[in-house]
Amino acid sequence: MATAETRLADVPQTGDMPPAGGSPSLLHRLLNPFRRGVPAAPQRATGFYTDTTVCIGCKACEVACKQWNQLPADGLEWTGNSYDNTGALSATSWRHVKFIEQFPLDDSAAPHGPERDGTRLSLDLLPDVPTPGRWLMMSDVCKHCATAPCQQACPTGALLHTEFTNVYIQPDICNGCAYCIASCPFGVITRASFDGHAHKCTLCYDRQRDGLVPACAKACPTQSIQFGPLDELRHRAQQRVDELHQRGVSSAYLYGERPTAQYSPLHSFYLLIDSPSVYGLPENPVNPWVHMLGDYARSVVSAFVMIAALLVVLFLGSP
Amino acid sequence: MQADSHVQATSSGYAERPVTKPPNWHALVAWDTTFNGMSTGLFVVASVCELAKPELFTPVVTLAYPAALLLLFADLTCLVLDLGDPLRFHHMLRVFKASSPMSLGVWCITIFSLFATAAALLTLLPIPDGPGLQWARRLVIGIGLVPALLAAIYKGVLFSTTSQPLWKDARWLGGYLTASTLVLGCAEMLLLATLSGYPEAADLLRYALIVLVLLCLLTLALFCWEVRRDLARLNRAKLFRAGLLSIGLGALLPLCLLCAGSYASLESCTAVLVLLGGFVMRLEIVRAPHALT
Repeated sequence: MATAETRLADVPQTGDMPPAGGSPSLLHRLLNPFRRGVPAAPQRATGFYTDTTVCIGCKACEVACKQWNQLPADGLEWTGNSYDNTGALSATSWRHVKFIEQFPLDDSAAPHGPERDGTRLSLDLLPDVPTPGRWLMMSDVCKHCATAPCQQACPTGALLHTEFTNVYIQPDICNGCAYCIASCPFGVITRASFDGHAHKCTLCYDRQRDGLVPACAKACPTQSIQFGPLDELRHRAQQRVDELHQRGVSSAYLYGERPTAQYSPLHSFYLLIDSPSVYGLPENPVNPWVHMLGDYARSVVSAFVMIAALLVVLFLGSP
Repeated sequence: MQADSHVQATSSGYAERPVTKPPNWHALVAWDTTFNGMSTGLFVVASVCELAKPELFTPVVTLAYPAALLLLFADLTCLVLDLGDPLRFHHMLRVFKASSPMSLGVWCITIFSLFATAAALLTLLPIPDGPGLQWARRLVIGIGLVPALLAAIYKGVLFSTTSQPLWKDARWLGGYLTASTLVLGCAEMLLLATLSGYPEAADLLRYALIVLVLLCLLTLALFCWEVRRDLARLNRAKLFRAGLLSIGLGALLPLCLLCAGSYASLESCTAVLVLLGGFVMRLEIVRAPHALT
C-alpha cells in the first residue's frame, strides 16, 4: 500500500485531540466523550435516489467519494467474475458500483464472433445483432434507513440521525464494538483495520451543512445518483417508473422508497429492473428489533423456570 | 432496454452471495460469553442457594462470591480487548439505550460488578459475624440478583437482535443461553462444594444439576429447531464434532455420570465437562455467521 494511505492511520481524530496548547491527558480522554453539544435544528429530510437504469458503471461516484472523504484506495484487484475491481462496500469504500453481468450460461446462445468462426468482426453487423445479455449497474451506498438498526444497536451513541435525518457515525465516539455491523441487514458497515472504528457513508454531512450536494451525486455524469429532499426525490422516482412502464420496461420498480411491515423506508432508495437479490439487496429486509421484546420475554421465562426448578430441588431434595 | 426478455437464461448477479457482513467477533467473544455465564450464573445460583438454605450453603458461597468476581474480571477483560479500540471502552457508559441489548448489558454488568464486589468483600473481610452482617449480605445478594440475571439474559438477545444468518432466526437463543448460564452456575457450585468437602450440599446440587441440564436441553432443542435450515447449510463434519463436544460430552455424558451416584471425583469431572461443553457451544454460536457467509 502507498505510504500516503498508511499515513492515514496515524492521523489523530477530533476526539483524540488534546486540549489546545496542552499535552495529551488521560483525563481529557476519559471525560471528553461525555461532553454534549447543542443538537442542530431539524432540517428538511434529504437522501439519495439511484436510478440504476442510467448507471454506466463509470465509478466516478466512487472516486469522488474517496477524494472528498480522503479515503485510501483498496488495491484495485479484479474480483474474477466481473469488471468490478473494488469488490464491495468497506470502511474505505463508502460507494461501490455493482456490476451484474447477465449473459446466457449456455455458450451456444452467445453471438457469433471472430473467436467462434475465425472471421474478422464487422462493425456494420453489430447494430443488427440482438444482444443476448445485459449489464446491470448499481451504485451501492448506505441506505440511511429511517429507523436504522445500526443506530438502534450502537451502545455508545456514536451512530445518530443528523438534522437531515441521515445516519452518521461520530468517528471520535465509536469504539469498534461491531454491533452495528452485525445489525445492518444490507451489509454496509465495516470496521477498519487501521483505527478499529466503524465507517460508512456520511451522506457528505459536511458538504450538506455548507449547502453543497454530496460528492458522488455531484460527480455522477448520468444523474443516476440524485440527491435532494426526500419528498421531491420520491415524486421524481415515481415519474421515472411510470415513464419506463410506458416504454415497455414493465419490470421497473422502486426499492425501499416506502415502508414495509418489517422495515422503515430507506432514505437512499433505488429504481431497479430485476429482483433485489440480483443487486445484492435483501428481498424483504427485516429490522431485527421487531423481535427484541419477544426474545427478552423468552429469556426471562427461561430464567424463572430454571430458578423455580432449582428452588424445587433445594426444598424437596433429600438432605 | 429489454428488461423482461433477458431475465430467464442469465446469471443471477449477486443473488448467490451473502448480503450481510459478519461482525469481527471470534474466540474472544466466545470466552467473554462463557465467563459472563460462569460469573452471573455462579452468583445467581449461589444467591438462590444461600437464600433458600443458608445452613447448608453458607460455607460454599464464601468461595462462590469471590470466584464470581474473579470470573467477572476475566469477562470484562475479554469484553474490552475485543473492541476495535479498547481504550474507548468507557464510551459505552456515555449513554443508556434501552433499544440496544449491548448498552443494557454493559450497564447491567457495571451494576452487577458493584454487587459482586460487595458480596465478595462481605464474605472475605474479617468482619465479626453477626445478624447485622448476615442481613447486609442477604440484602446485597437479594438486590444483586436482578442485575446479575439481566447481565445473564442480555447476551442471547444481543445475538438474536441482529441481521446475521442463524442468529436472526433464533428466537430461543436468549432462552437457551440464559438456561445454559444457570447450568454453568450450578456446575460451578457443585465443583466448589465437592472440592471444599461439603457432601450434603454437593448431593443436593447434583440433583439440581440433573434437572437444570434437562431443562437446558429443552431450550436447546427449541433453538436448534428454529435454525434447522441454517444448521443444514453448515459443514456436516464440523457440526457433528461440535454437537459431540457440546451436547454429548457437555450434557449427555454428565447426565449419565450424575445419575451414576454421588462420588466426589465423578461430580468434579461432571462439572468440568459441563463447563467445557458450555464453552464449545458458545464458540460454535459465535462462529456460525462466519461459517454461513
